[in-house]
Amino acid sequence: MTNGWIDIKNTDMMLIMGGNPAENHPCGFKWAVEAKLKRNAKMIVVDPRFTRTAAVADLFCQIRAGADIAFLGGLINYAIENNRIAKDYLVNYTNAAFIIKDGFKLPEDGLFSGFDAATKTYNKSSWNYQEGGNETGKFVPGVAGEQPAHGDEAKAAVMPVSTAAKGAASTPPPPPPPSLPPNIAYDLSLQHPRCVYQLLKQQYSRYTPEMVERITGIPKDQFLKAADLFTSVRTNGDMKKVATIIYAVGWTQHSFGTQIIRTAAMLQLLMGNVGRAGGGVNALRGHSNIQGATDMAGIFDILPGYLKVPSPADKDLKAYLDRITPKPAKPNEWESFNYWSNTPKFMVSFLKAMYGNAATKDNDFAFHYLPKIDRNYSWVEIWNDMYQGTVKGLFAFGMNGVMIGPDSQKNIDALKKADFLVVCEIYPDETSAFWQAPGITPDDVKQINTTVYRLPGAGFAEKDGTFVNSARWLQWKNVALPPPGDCRLDQDILAQIFLKIRELYQKEGGKFPDPILKASWAYTLPEHPSLSEVAKEINGKALADISDEKLGVSLKAGQQLPGFAMLRDDGTTSSANWLYCGSWTEAGPMMQRRGTDDPSGLGIYQNWGWSWPANRRVMYNRASCDLAGKPWDPTRSQVWWNETAQKWVGNDVPDFKPDSKPEEHMGPFIMNPEGVGRLFVPLGAMADGPFPEFYEPIESPIENPLHPGQSNNPVVKKYKTAMDKYGTAKEGYNIICTTYRLTEHYHYWTKNNPMNVELVPEPFVEIPAELADQMGIRGGEKVKVTSARSDYIAKAMVTKRIKPMMVDGKKLYQIGMPIHWGFLGISEGEGRTAKTPANLLTPTVVDPNAYTPEFKGFLVKLEKV
Amino acid sequence: MATSADRFVHRSNPIDRMGRTVVYTGELLRHPVYTRFLHWMVGIFFFLALLSGFGIYLPWIFRFFTPLFGGGATTRFLHPWFGLAFVFFFALQAINWLQVMRWTPDDSRWMKHIKQYVTRSDSVESPETGFFNAGQKMQFWEIVGGCVAYVITGVIMWLPEIFGRILVAISYVVHDISALVMLFGIFFHVYLSTFGEPGTIQAMTRGTVSEGWAWTHHPSWYKAVTGRDPAEALEEAKRRNTPPPLPPRTL
Amino acid sequence: MSDRGTLRIQQISAHPGPVAGEGVQRQDKVCKLIDTTTCIGCKACEVACVEWNDMPFQTTYFDNTYQTMPDTDWNYWNLIKFNEDQHDNGSFAWLMRKHQCMHCEDPGCLRACPADGAIVQYSNGIVDFQQEHCIGCQFCVSGCPFNIPKFNPNTKKVYKCTLCSDRVGAGLEPACIKACPTGCLHFGTKDDMKFLAENRASQLREVSGFQNAGVYDPDTIGGTHVIYVLHDATKPERYGNLPAKPRIPLSFTVWKDIFKPIGLFGAMLGFVGVVMHYVFEGPRREQPAPPVVRIDPPPPPAGKEN
Repeated sequence: MTNGWIDIKNTDMMLIMGGNPAENHPCGFKWAVEAKLKRNAKMIVVDPRFTRTAAVADLFCQIRAGADIAFLGGLINYAIENNRIAKDYLVNYTNAAFIIKDGFKLPEDGLFSGFDAATKTYNKSSWNYQEGGNETGKFVPGVAGEQPAHGDEAKAAVMPVSTAAKGAASTPPPPPPPSLPPNIAYDLSLQHPRCVYQLLKQQYSRYTPEMVERITGIPKDQFLKAADLFTSVRTNGDMKKVATIIYAVGWTQHSFGTQIIRTAAMLQLLMGNVGRAGGGVNALRGHSNIQGATDMAGIFDILPGYLKVPSPADKDLKAYLDRITPKPAKPNEWESFNYWSNTPKFMVSFLKAMYGNAATKDNDFAFHYLPKIDRNYSWVEIWNDMYQGTVKGLFAFGMNGVMIGPDSQKNIDALKKADFLVVCEIYPDETSAFWQAPGITPDDVKQINTTVYRLPGAGFAEKDGTFVNSARWLQWKNVALPPPGDCRLDQDILAQIFLKIRELYQKEGGKFPDPILKASWAYTLPEHPSLSEVAKEINGKALADISDEKLGVSLKAGQQLPGFAMLRDDGTTSSANWLYCGSWTEAGPMMQRRGTDDPSGLGIYQNWGWSWPANRRVMYNRASCDLAGKPWDPTRSQVWWNETAQKWVGNDVPDFKPDSKPEEHMGPFIMNPEGVGRLFVPLGAMADGPFPEFYEPIESPIENPLHPGQSNNPVVKKYKTAMDKYGTAKEGYNIICTTYRLTEHYHYWTKNNPMNVELVPEPFVEIPAELADQMGIRGGEKVKVTSARSDYIAKAMVTKRIKPMMVDGKKLYQIGMPIHWGFLGISEGEGRTAKTPANLLTPTVVDPNAYTPEFKGFLVKLEKV
Repeated sequence: MATSADRFVHRSNPIDRMGRTVVYTGELLRHPVYTRFLHWMVGIFFFLALLSGFGIYLPWIFRFFTPLFGGGATTRFLHPWFGLAFVFFFALQAINWLQVMRWTPDDSRWMKHIKQYVTRSDSVESPETGFFNAGQKMQFWEIVGGCVAYVITGVIMWLPEIFGRILVAISYVVHDISALVMLFGIFFHVYLSTFGEPGTIQAMTRGTVSEGWAWTHHPSWYKAVTGRDPAEALEEAKRRNTPPPLPPRTL
Repeated sequence: MSDRGTLRIQQISAHPGPVAGEGVQRQDKVCKLIDTTTCIGCKACEVACVEWNDMPFQTTYFDNTYQTMPDTDWNYWNLIKFNEDQHDNGSFAWLMRKHQCMHCEDPGCLRACPADGAIVQYSNGIVDFQQEHCIGCQFCVSGCPFNIPKFNPNTKKVYKCTLCSDRVGAGLEPACIKACPTGCLHFGTKDDMKFLAENRASQLREVSGFQNAGVYDPDTIGGTHVIYVLHDATKPERYGNLPAKPRIPLSFTVWKDIFKPIGLFGAMLGFVGVVMHYVFEGPRREQPAPPVVRIDPPPPPAGKEN
């Protein structure tokens, strides 16, 4: 979340899409209700189903699963057409005025400039700003040349998939990407035809209400109602009101998920809603600590604190830091903080935390101990590799891999080929019992040679430590109960495995034992590391006496660091995650604070827990003020420029260089080298385009109405094992299916808990009443849902909450099912439905930016059992 | 009336041959053992149901009844079973008496003289009065109707989940009214079988009545079982009957 | 709200005589406010109720709905009713209403109950069942216009929501209120809750376009200590058969309080009748009647007087 849970109460308008917070985040949803009650805020819900959230919304639109970019693009078009945009904000805080290089092409035919059909990747060199400084007023309409045609690329786009796929198998490492120009050309009048604003306008002018209706299935008048309502906060450009966008995995779990979120971010920038109380783009995380997992490098291509992992091409630390540290790139007349320029400090401190005294200046701070990632090791790839026999073993902690999918059957078959599987869980789960999956006979079991180890872990209430919530708050929790029986704390299990491995390395040597032998393990009880020690280590400490005059801080060696501003790149500080630096200082554990004072009434609660970065509650909050540093809405003052003190002050911690005068025109988006928000994403940040373009899900009942020749996301990779099948409407898979969670259950745990099972006892399939009537299905009767992968059998829930929809002139039906059941648990017992892991149905295909599988919006057949 | 009387006289029915009834000279068999057994079963369960019912009906008056049955919950538990037992035995009695309880033109004529009956203006009942008089028959049929009402409404109240609250609320009133009517009637039954018409209760204890009782209260039945004219029998008895000597003075 | 003495007894079912301690202390009426317009049907209240009251779990069955079970049960006092409400004009709503005891000001269950002390109404308005006095007759079930009391066939007793009288008596809010994540549940004095509810209803009318929004506090039973804010107060039936005009059946008011004693008096007239008959008319003896012999009182024995 750019903002936070409580901050939602400050909003005037909510667009909830790709998420169902009332269902999945009922406690946080109180703030949405609060906004409705206290501010008369409006709530628009866009979802494939009429959800629990829709039940309390002011306006509901039923959208075809996966059509979100079309809807949001339509909103952008509507806002521009009706002048419901934040002009000053746009010009000064975003890259709207920046001029894009000649040669960049919009995807009228479905492809941006630079597409290589053989490798299914883009050469992104044309996705860049033009060099040149202030061009304002220099452009005279009618003189500018036409966009160059890109006939060759258009032809490439319609090449048969098989040819394109052959190339993808051996992707060469991309050449070093071109960099941003140091002095970016811009046109403050936004008239230049290649300025971002004009390109944006042109790109989304195709997303007319009629086109939105054709793609999304939302009738035009209903879309216009939603568009009018949402953009009404910016009527006549008035900046007082604020709108927020709230989403969850309904957006991320698509083969173009990142681009959906981008579209939302662009809409919010366009309307000047980012950085402001009650605004922002707010991701609701699906687990209590998924934010913490991401911050601490839960994904293969980042290190803690979102530092990029080294690649084999990074010969030494310097080469690596040069590659990943962004250089300033901005109009010369403007300032940019470019906070990522501190990357070397973060990285060296991280290495010091990892390897302690073994990391010295002479050995590049043990940079070469870090693994160098040569390719994609994301979730789906791991299982694909295991399925193909190259991954031999798996440690599964805190997740039920078989059930999570996608394509559970493929994961089950992959585990059959593994040598070993270690599962640490609080219940016997489907992953550790994969050999009991439906369809596996006792004879089959004899053929499975996988050794399965079950480790009894501890539940969340049996451990202390922090959770990092969606609002980026670190909150410490205490132990409620000791772990029962032989269960052990996760950190104890991990520590003991690590120490055992280290012992083996010590005894037996090995190819490269140093990273293991020299890893820092300075805990009082090495076999039982206390989480407070780990938390202190993550915050980091001074390794020598250091001082910073400007900050007025001086620290003795061994003292906890007060914040990431104190980090050094000379090895005198350590911090395992620079973002968390400041969470456990000399003053104590900041995440354990429980102060409830909120003088501003904005729900900032500066003394409750601790929020990264630097205890800021709303990110980019400089953007909540106008150019002169005065809040757009004085009733919601977050930060402001104090002329007397010559400093940025406020109720929240300013997310800005504290002494940068407004006249310096420093951009509020300090993590971007440009300092401004990106309507256009230059160069390599996105794999599939600098602007989001609507593509059909991999399994779609229609051809993309925008460009039937390029229906899907062109850079998306389909897998090619025997298990990876993709269905089409021609083969009879003509019902759109989506998966989701229920408020009554938590993933695959609570099916073991009688109270939760009492609330919702059995799996089911939600079927529109009209479709059920046609097929003669009555509520409670068993139905079989079949995808190209497998099938799923459960009882039908015939509902009026899903309506048939007209998409591109075709009548389409959507169905959906909750994911909470598998083949172990109370409700999976005798006499109940057995074949119920929902992810048996889902396809193995991922978003090219975040590698999230496409769990939402795949094709199925439906029949009565 | 001959048919019904025959039944008892000749003891043709195997059920009626159960047990033994001692009939002395000058007496007539009125109720065989089976009938008497049923009567007292009906009577016992009627009063058990009545008393347990009262505890629930108006607890602010009759709260002292519930402890008799082991407290409120037990009282509530037993009441329907008492009621069922009452209805069961009465149903057997009703089958037993179905024939003799049939309404006849004689009964209609009897009803016309009800005032004389109540005020005792005749020393004996009208000659057409058979085994049961019309009043007894009326009470019998009231109890039959009452029992039907009890069973229907009682089952509804017993199983409210099935029948729903509106039916229960109606049943509750009907059940009560039925009980009140029956209670009202029972006072007359008890009175007339004891104080009101002495010699009657013997019919339900030993099973016999004196011939005099028979020609007085049920002349037509007397005629049927003895073949003698009740009026003549009465006259003859009067003639035979000389005033008894004065009791000896003992004081 | 005062947090002391909230459990003072105000009425006792079928109990003769006055209530001990009556009128000793002034007592605020408590009230639960349920804003159905902000209820998301998350069932936290259901779980809180089961857990606080330590209810045994039961097996439920899929019934083509998100609703946990068709109706409340003896061990499930709090149930959110889900209703898919399709209108002819195409508009659609998914109505969710937390269903539990309404704690009527004039409780039909209490009126119907024949067991001394089985149902009490506290002076704060809470209507509570005292199972140790319950005789299991289930008259309360038919007395209740909301179909709340539920019979446990094993214990032969009737159970229902207590409005957490144990918590309220200790100055706490009911468990469901405590658990509600969206704040659609409120608890306080009746006056405060009415004020809050009316404000919300007028906000719904004026801002959200629900012209018929209103507060459900039916006066046919003297008001309730659980009140609702409804989007459409003119049609409460849409919210899972919430009666527009809940009534206690006449059999539990007119019949029980007036005609029952009269009926009993009528039946007793039979007794009076036969006694009078014996006195005024005398018995009919078998004929011929024994001769009447006059017995003179014996003369005083001679010689015994001084």
